[in-house]
Amino acid sequence: MHEYAFFLGCIAPNRYPGAESASYKTSEKLGIKLLDLEGGSCCPAPGAFGSIDLNIWYAMAARNLVLAEQMKKDIALICNGCYKSIWEVNHKLKKHKELREGVNEVLKGVDMEFKGTIDVWHLAELFYDPKICGLQKIRDSVTVPLEGTRIAVHYGCHLMKPKKERHFGSTEHPYWIEEMVAALGAEPVEYRNKMLCCGAGGGVRGYDLVHSIDITNEKMINLKEVKADALTEVCPFCQLQFDRGQIEIEEKFGVKYGLPVLHYCELLGLAQGMSPQELALDLHAVSCEPFLEKVL
Amino acid sequence: MQRTKGYPEALDKKLADTRLFEDERHPDFTKTVEEISMTIPHMCYQCGTCTASCPSAPRSSYRIRKFVRRALLGLEDESLTDPDLWLCTTCYSCTDRCPRDIAPTDVIMAMRNLAARRDIIPVNFLKTVQAIYTTGHGVPNNDVNRAARKKLGLNPEPPTTHGFPQYVKGIQYILDYFGLKDRADRIVKEREG
Repeated sequence: MHEYAFFLGCIAPNRYPGAESASYKTSEKLGIKLLDLEGGSCCPAPGAFGSIDLNIWYAMAARNLVLAEQMKKDIALICNGCYKSIWEVNHKLKKHKELREGVNEVLKGVDMEFKGTIDVWHLAELFYDPKICGLQKIRDSVTVPLEGTRIAVHYGCHLMKPKKERHFGSTEHPYWIEEMVAALGAEPVEYRNKMLCCGAGGGVRGYDLVHSIDITNEKMINLKEVKADALTEVCPFCQLQFDRGQIEIEEKFGVKYGLPVLHYCELLGLAQGMSPQELALDLHAVSCEPFLEKVL
Repeated sequence: MQRTKGYPEALDKKLADTRLFEDERHPDFTKTVEEISMTIPHMCYQCGTCTASCPSAPRSSYRIRKFVRRALLGLEDESLTDPDLWLCTTCYSCTDRCPRDIAPTDVIMAMRNLAARRDIIPVNFLKTVQAIYTTGHGVPNNDVNRAARKKLGLNPEPPTTHGFPQYVKGIQYILDYFGLKDRADRIVKEREG
C-alpha cells in the first residue's frame, strides 16, 4: 500500500464531495491509501493569490506543504489548481534558496519551517504510473465496464502546462487520460482544440463571467460535434466551470447542452461498482441520468 | 489629452496610436517585471504566436503580445491601468508555444502584482482573500454540501481548516504579516461602500 497525505483543496470537499469520497474508495482498491492532511487550507488559488502578490502565494502554499512534511508523507491531490500551487511552490522553493529563506522568515511566526523533504503528485498521474498503479491494475479493478459510452477528456491547464517546468512532455496532444478512460471499458473520443482552457482560471470567472463562459461555450460546441456522452476531467474547478457553466450558458446565451461532467475519480468509482448515490451525482448541476442509463 | 508632434491635425490623429513618448517609458518597470516574472520579455520578436494561442484573444481586445511589448518598452501606466490585464486565464498555452522561450503568462502575473501594489485590482480577487482569512477556504462549505457529505458517510466538515479551525490562526498570521487582509478590507470598502 502506497500512502499519501491527501490534500483536498476547496471545491472537491465543499462542492463535489462525491469526487472526494470516490478518491478514497477507488484508490484504496488500487493500492493507494489517502490519509487526512489535518488543517490543510485553500492551496491558495493560484489565479487570485498569484495575481496579488507571488510572495504571499508562496508562503500560504508552503504552510500546506509543511503540514505534509510533518506527516513525512508525499502529497496526493485531485485538482489542477492545487497542483499548480502545491507542486510548483514546492518545486520553486526547493530550487531557489532566496525564495525559501524568504518564506521561512514568514513561517517562523507560526513555528514552521519549509525543508523540502516531500514530493507532490496528482492522483491521476499516480493511477497512470505503472510503478504505483498502472493501467492493468485499473482494468482489473473494473466490475461495471462503461461499455458503449463515448467519453471526452478535458485535461485542464495547470497539471501539464507550462511543459518546461513539468514532466509530462508535449502538451499539444496528450493521450494518457484517454488511455485511462479506455481502461474502464469506455470509448475515448477526441474533439477539436482539446487543450483549450475551460475559461475559469486566472480569476477570470469572478472578474468577467460572460467572457469566461464564452470560452466554455466554445469547448461545448466542439464537444457537441463529436456526440460525447460525458466529459471527464481531473480538476474540480474545471468540473465546476463545465457543470454550473452549462446552466450559466443557458441563461446568458440561450443554448442548452446537457452534457454530464464527471471527475475521473467519479467515473472510476462507477466502473468499480459504486452507486450514483455513493458519488453524490445528484449534486451536479447538469443531470447525469442520460449517461447513467447507458452504463447501469 | 491629445499629444502632438507638430504635424497637421489630421495626420497627428492618424498617427496617435503609433507614437511613443520618451517620458512615458520607465526602464525600471522592464527590470522589475523581469525580476518578478523570472522570464525575459526583452527577447520577444513580436511574432504573435502567444496572441494566436490565447483563449481570451478571440473574444476581447486583450492582446498578450501587446503586453509583452509594453513590458519591453517600459510602458508602466499603459500596462497597469489596462482592464484587459485581468482577462488572462493563465492557461500557459502562450508559454508552451513561445519560440523565444519567454513565459508571457508570468509577465502578466508580474504586471498584476505591480498593479496590485497600486491598489489596481478587481474586487473578486480580494473577496477570495477575505474568505480565506475567515475560513481557510476560498470556496467555503455550506449546508447543502454538509448534508450531502453526511449521506456519503463523510464528516460534514472536511478534515481541512473546516474540521480543524485551530489552524486558521496560522493562515491569519501569514496574511497579516503581509498586511493583506487590511488592504483587502479597505479596498473592498472603498469600491462597494
